[in-house]
Parts: sequence; structure tokens; C-alpha cells
Amino acid sequence: MADASTLQSGPGRRLRTPAVLVALTCCLLVVLALGLGLGAVRVPAATLLNTLLGLDGPRQDFIVLGSRLPRTLLGALTGAALGLSGAIIQSLLRNPLASPKIVGINSGAAFAVLLCAFLLPDAAARLTPFAAAVGGVVAGSVVWLMAGRLALDAARLTLVGIAVGFVMEAGVEFLLVTQTGPEFSAPLVWLTGSLWGRGWTHLWSVAPALGGLMALALLMSFRLDLQYLGPQRAAALGVRLGLERGMLLVIGVLLAALSVGVVGVVGFIGLMAPHIAARLVGGRHRALLPTAALVGAILCAGADVAGRALMPPIEISAGILTALLGAPFFIWLLLTEGRRPGAPR
Amino acid sequence: MRQVLAQDRPLGEGAAVLRRAALPCLALLVVLGGCALSLATGGRSDVGLADLSGLFAGSGATLAEQTMRDIRLPRTLCAVFLGVNLGLAGLILQAVTRNALAAPGLLGINQGAALGIVLGLIVPALAGVPQSLLAVVFGLLAVAATFAISGAFSGRIESLRLILGGIAVGALGFAAVRLGYTLEDDLARQVVRWTVGDIGGVRMPEALRLGATALLGILAAFGLAQRLNLMALGQAASHGLGADPMRTLMLGAGVASVMTGVCVSVAGPIAFAGLVVPHLAKALAGADHRRLVLVTATLGAGLMAWADAGSKLWPGFSEIPVGVIVSIIGAPWFLAIVLTRRASSHG
Amino acid sequence: MRTILSALAIIGISATAGFARDVTHALGTTEVPDAPQRVVVLEFSFVDALSAVGLAPVGIADDNKRDRIQSVLTDVIGDDWTSVGTRKTPSLEVIASLQPDLIIADKTRHEAIYDTLGQIAPTVVYDSLTGDYQDVLEEATRIGEAVGRAEEMAEFQRAHAARMEAIRDEVADSVVGRAAQFGVINANGFWLHSPQSYVGSLLDYFGFAPVMSPSGDDSYGELYQQVTLEQASELEPAVLILGKIEGEHTLDLDWADEALWQQIPAVRDGNVFDVSSNLWSRSRGMLTAEATARDIREIAQSLK
Repeated sequence: MADASTLQSGPGRRLRTPAVLVALTCCLLVVLALGLGLGAVRVPAATLLNTLLGLDGPRQDFIVLGSRLPRTLLGALTGAALGLSGAIIQSLLRNPLASPKIVGINSGAAFAVLLCAFLLPDAAARLTPFAAAVGGVVAGSVVWLMAGRLALDAARLTLVGIAVGFVMEAGVEFLLVTQTGPEFSAPLVWLTGSLWGRGWTHLWSVAPALGGLMALALLMSFRLDLQYLGPQRAAALGVRLGLERGMLLVIGVLLAALSVGVVGVVGFIGLMAPHIAARLVGGRHRALLPTAALVGAILCAGADVAGRALMPPIEISAGILTALLGAPFFIWLLLTEGRRPGAPR
Repeated sequence: MRQVLAQDRPLGEGAAVLRRAALPCLALLVVLGGCALSLATGGRSDVGLADLSGLFAGSGATLAEQTMRDIRLPRTLCAVFLGVNLGLAGLILQAVTRNALAAPGLLGINQGAALGIVLGLIVPALAGVPQSLLAVVFGLLAVAATFAISGAFSGRIESLRLILGGIAVGALGFAAVRLGYTLEDDLARQVVRWTVGDIGGVRMPEALRLGATALLGILAAFGLAQRLNLMALGQAASHGLGADPMRTLMLGAGVASVMTGVCVSVAGPIAFAGLVVPHLAKALAGADHRRLVLVTATLGAGLMAWADAGSKLWPGFSEIPVGVIVSIIGAPWFLAIVLTRRASSHG
Repeated sequence: MRTILSALAIIGISATAGFARDVTHALGTTEVPDAPQRVVVLEFSFVDALSAVGLAPVGIADDNKRDRIQSVLTDVIGDDWTSVGTRKTPSLEVIASLQPDLIIADKTRHEAIYDTLGQIAPTVVYDSLTGDYQDVLEEATRIGEAVGRAEEMAEFQRAHAARMEAIRDEVADSVVGRAAQFGVINANGFWLHSPQSYVGSLLDYFGFAPVMSPSGDDSYGELYQQVTLEQASELEPAVLILGKIEGEHTLDLDWADEALWQQIPAVRDGNVFDVSSNLWSRSRGMLTAEATARDIREIAQSLK
């Protein structure tokens, strides 16, 4: 977690940051390569290269270019967005345990998607991403508004987020049992968070928005560091903290909601990525945000690759794998975080 | 800190007597009303409360009387005992953690118990183990994990970490449950069964199992009541007065896990009942656990009886599982507690 | 519309020497090869339709369980298909690796991946989940057209209708007017199939009277109703047909001792029949309908 002490990290840490970024980028490239190479169908390396480079010889155009490439890229993109979103939310709430899931965005998106599926069954397949984004933003805003109105501290804000999430989940349960028959499946696949069937259209539908928001967040990241100087010095430097924080929060919520809209509820990435990033490069946002994005991309794309390579042709949803990995991580975090000073009260 | 013990207001003697008598009467009326509504509704329109007359008629009972005796009564009893068990489990957990937000569902016990049962269905080696036992054992493991996370074993429970720990443990349990269903497409339709509580198919043996647990639970809660009161005074005070807080914590968590585990094995996880009921009870009856035990049990019974009636009265042919009804009531309640409780109202 | 389409088809055939036609389906119009040979199907009812014209699919979304495909179908199509995973999330890679020239998908399950499937091969989409028997027949006709075997399909349908009618006449005396109800039962629940459902319409075809009141709504939740014993008992079916998976525990075994179960007319008179839920409920089509009809003939013979 970013606090004043980690801000004044020594020069050693500052030197480390570029090295870490390079290493993570390499790591991401390996995951992307695995994403192209692994799947239900074995594609020999030669065929893979032929296809990618457009050479003559045996090729697998759809499997590599039509399925694995967009899917892996989408996994990396949404993972990066979730990681970045988590870093922003944790930082703004000054709570190392916050994440898009904890502040109710995931459940809000899930509720909106199910509501949309049952109110407009014919348009549901196309409207899912929009419904999810709207639901996530609404749930996030509700939490934030309540927090603002009641002037809550960070710990209680987290609790409000959890509570709003519970209300949404109750709605999800209600819709699932009242509106579906014994063989319902489409909403359940989405609820567990899966990149199954995602292609270029899905990628292009969110890539511009996510890319723009991520760029904006990274540009603003140095201003995030300034808020730790305290309000007066920040103001002297021309930073209007309230506005900046508000804008960043909107960006954070949008990043998570749009990602959830297109890939479903892939949980815990927004929690894990910023923590791993903080251990690697410390708490300065200029270093933390890009690192968290890279870690998130690796986690999400990696979970997708693992899910389709483990027991083909059955696919295990990426969301199940991130939860199985993320929940113990969260537990470990809770166990270790409290030993350090500045833990949330 | 809330008032240590409820003190009688300086009312006139008559008014005080009236107040003491009115509350139990009202609570009893609520329970009886819920039970009556629950018993009076079901699939058949020709079965009504009057058919309770055949309760002891043996094989001579009419069809309607048999329906009442063999199907409706066990179900309503199950609802009532679920309410007692979950309410008391919540009461005990709130006392031993000194946290108003503690409840079986929020500390991961429900999800742990559900995971135990699903493992019993999937893992061949566990096939012979009774479901209740698996549910209790995994529920205990879950609450132990949550307590460890919250720092309870080192003496100081942090409120937020307790809830977050419970959520983490619960998320892990449900993720594992979901994995089981992904691998087995046929089981997907049952996913609701083990993530939402339902008592649509219970019969007398289940009701008796829950009833016995409820009875033992009430006795255990009475036994613990004094210790629970001391916990409210704080760890040090509790220690000074001869009750080791750590032992209270262990005992309380154990009792709560057994009660919850048996409930999950019968009905699946029912969230929020254990949260809402103790809160209502404290609002009505103050903070003395010797009194709270009975009030909580009564209110729990009432809430679940009404929820069960609601699940049967829901418009449409199919019922809604009772767990969904409780969640719809309980989740906003949780939000309300979080929003209204004063920041300093817990240890 | 139909004339335009057939005109288009004729133009298509004459222009490209029989290599492509436009086929209209639930999600639009798709250009498909004239006589596709490598077909991948993502629902069970499509397997049945292809079997009717003797076309063996190269890939089936069989939930990775080959025995889900009924023996009446494997008798025709053999055992050579590749499993492409679950119907819920079929593996696009495996589908692509089969190099199909036609994919047949279900509207409810696969709408979200329609575009992607279209990148692999021409894809046609039909509503397999909510139709009744009549819809299945119409769907088969359309699939016959889609795979360029309309005449074979029409021929099969005439023979099919004759066989079905023969069984209908045979059982008429014992079943006409008897109130019958079909439901799928397992250890966790009992789902009744309404008169509008596929099985409901089949029972109606054979002359059974409906038990549940027609709701007039064909959304999925209305077609399949989960009921408690109390609700089921009040319907008072004279004939009760239970779809089960062989060897699995089912609720009716628990209910056998209960008065409410025993008083259901069908139970009282010994008119409860166990059938395969995989055949009756999960598989839809003409060949499986004939297998179902043979079950019904057996049921009619043992009706009391």
C-alpha cells in the first residue's frame, strides 16, 4: 500500500522500476505466446509461425488469428484494466483491501446483466457489455455517494461497498431462481467470468475506451503522488485534490465495469495486481500504476490460457481460476497486512 | 460500547410488568402467525389449518391430514428450527467477536459447509461420510480460518478484517463449489441448491435433526450466556472476572459451527438470517444474553416461518427458495447496519 | 419471400455451378455450400435432423459424453464424430480444427458467438430449446434445405409421419382422453413439462389429454415447472411418465411411502412409467420421436 514511508523510497528502488517493467513485459510476452500456442487443439510451432507471419505451408488461420490471438489480447487488456482499476481504487480509498469486487462493481454489473437478460431476452447478447458497464458504474456511484454523504472513513466505506455488493447479489439470486428454467446456462457462464467465444469484435468494442482511460490514468498518476504531500502543498503546486480524486475514481470504476461487461465477473485481479506491483516497485503511483496493469494483464491472460489448456475440450472459466488463486491470496494478504503499521481500522 | 445490561427504565411498577409481559406475547404472536400462514399454504388448496386435527390420528388420518402431518408440518418445523439455529449462531458469533456484523454467512461458515457437502458428492472417498458431519467439519475449518485472519487467536479482532476474512474464505469455498459444477454439466442445475438455501423437499427426519440441534443449541447458549455477557465488557474485564476470552471464543465458534453445519446439510446455505435476528433481538430486549437467547430463538423462528410462507405464497407455480427471500430481506439490512451503526460501537 | 429465396437459390446454383445458396435462419441469412459434407452441430436435435437425411456430422457438442447421443441416431450416423465440448461452451478451436463447411447452432445457447462461428464456417441458427413437436418438424425441413437435401428430408418426413400415425392408431384405444403428464425427476427436484413443451405436444399428438392448464406462454420458465409433491399431487394425472437417468437416485423413490404420492391416480392405478430423460427430454427430433413413440406404445400396452 502506498503510504508516506514508501514514497520516500531510496534511489535503489527507483532504479529497480524500469528493470521490473521490462521483466514484466517479457513475462507478459511469454504468457501471450503461451496463449497463442496452447489450447484444445495442438498447433505445431511451425504451423503457428506460418500463420502468424503469413508464410506458405500448413496454417491454422481461425484457431490462431481468429480465436487465440483476439482472446489472449482481450484477456491481457481487461486484466490490465482491472489491475489498474484496483490500484486506483485502493489508493483513493487508502485501503489496501479494496478492489473492484469489494466496492460492489462486480455484483452491480452482474445484476444489471441478468436484469437485461430477462427484460430484453432478444437483445441480451448484444446489450450485455453495456448493461454490465451501467450496473457497475451505478453500484460504484451508490457506494461513493453514500460515502460522501456520510463522510465515512476508509474502513467503513469498504463495508458499505461489501453491503451494496450483497444487495446486488441477493438480486442476482432472485433473478436466477425466478426467471430461469432448469437448463439455463448463458448467464451462468458470464457470471463465472470467461473469455470463451470472445473475438475481434469484442476486443474492438472495448479497446478504444479501455486504452484511452488507461492512458489518462497513467498520465494522472504523478498527480496521485502529490496528494501525499498533504492538501496545502498540493494546492500550492496547483493540484485540485477533490477534482483529481473524483476524476480518477470515475476512471477506476469505468475501467472495471467495462472489463466486467465484456469478459464477465473475473474476480480478484483488481485486488492481487496492485499488491504484487507494490511489492515489486513500491508505492509511488508513477511506478505502481503501470506495474499493476502489467501484472493484471499477466494474471488474466494466464488464467485464460490455463483454463483452456487444462482439460480440453472442456473450458474452465478464467473467473473460477482467478477466484481459486485470488481468495487464498486475499487471505494471505489479510494475514500479513495487519502485521504492518498503517493497517486499516 | 452499547449499554452493558439493559436496565429497567424508571417506569411505574404496573407499566414495567406490562412491558415485560407484552414483549414475549407479541413475539409469540408473530411466530404463531408465521407458522399458521406457512402451514396454511402449499401446493394443495384442499389442505388447511383444520387438518392439524389429524396429527395423532395415525393411519386413520384423511389424506389432507396426512399431507399436513407428513409434508407441511415438517417443513414449517424445519423453517422454525433453522431460524432458531441460525439466529443463535449469529448471536453467539456477534458476542464472541464483539462485532455487530458477525454472522454464519459472513464469516464463511455457510460456504465452508456447502463446500464440505459438495466434496462429499464428488469425492468418492468421502461418499460414506454423513453430510451433516462434513458440513460441520468444513464449517469449523472455515470459521477457524476466518478467525485466524482476523487476528482472533492473538487476542484482538479487527472488525473489517473479520468481515473481509469471512468474505475471502466464503469466496474460496464458493469458487471450489462452482468448479465442481463446471466440470459436470448435469450438476449445473443444482448450483442454486448449494448456493441458496431451500427447504422445499424436507420431511420429518430432517425436522427432528434440526430440532434436536436447536434444543442443544439453546441449552449451550444458555450455558454460555454469562460468558457472552462478560465478553461485552472487554477482554481484560472478562479475564478478570474468571472467564478466559479465548475459551469463550473457541466454545462459541464451535457451538455456532455445529448449529450452522447441521442447517446447511438440511437446507443449504441461508445467508443473513444469523445477522438480522440477533439485531432485532437486541433492539427489543437489550444486551443481557441470558434474556437474548430466548428472544433470539423466538424471533429467528418467526422470521423463518414468515419467509417460508412467503416462498410458498410467491405468485406463480414454482416456489422461490426460502434462502432467496431471506437474502432479499437480509442484504439491505446489512447495508442499513453498516450505514447507521456508530463507528465506535464495536471493539 | 420464399419465391425470392428460391429464385436466389436457382441463380446461385446456375451461377456458381451449385456451390452456394442463401439460407434464412433465426439470426439472419447465410450463404452455405450447396451440399455441405463436414457439418458440426451444437445441439442434440440437429443430430437427429441430419440423421434423417443420412448425413453424419463430423463434430457434435455432446457435453463430452458420447452416450448422450441416442442409439437410434448412432445406428445411422455411426460413432465417428469428434466431441467439441459442452453445448454451453463448445470449443471453437476444436470446431475450427474439424474444418467444417457448415455449423448448425442453437439460438438461445449460441447467439453470443454467432459472429465468431461465422468466421469458422457458414453458420445457421435455429431455436432448438423451446420448440414443440411441430416446430421440430419444421426445423427439420429447414435443416434439410440448409444441407441441400430437401427432397430426402421431405421423403423421410412422409415415411416418419406414416410410422408415427401407425403407432398413434395402434395406441388410440388405450390412450385417447387419458390425462397424462411427463416430468423429469432426479434426486433434487421434479420438473413438469407443460402441454406447450416438446414432450407435451408429443403426448397431445398421441391423443393423451393435458393435465396442466395451458398457460399460453412459451418462455422457457413456463414450459418447465419445478413442483413440490403437493403441487404435483393436485394435478391428478391418470398417467405419469417420469424421465430419469438410469441408475440415479430419484425423488419418487423417497415419496413412494407417502400418502400424497400414493393417492395420485396414476400411482394408485399403477400407471407410472419410467423412461430415459436423455431420450425424452434432452433429445428432440424425428428419429428420437419415433423411439419415444415406441416407448409410448409399450406404455399403452401396459396401461391399466
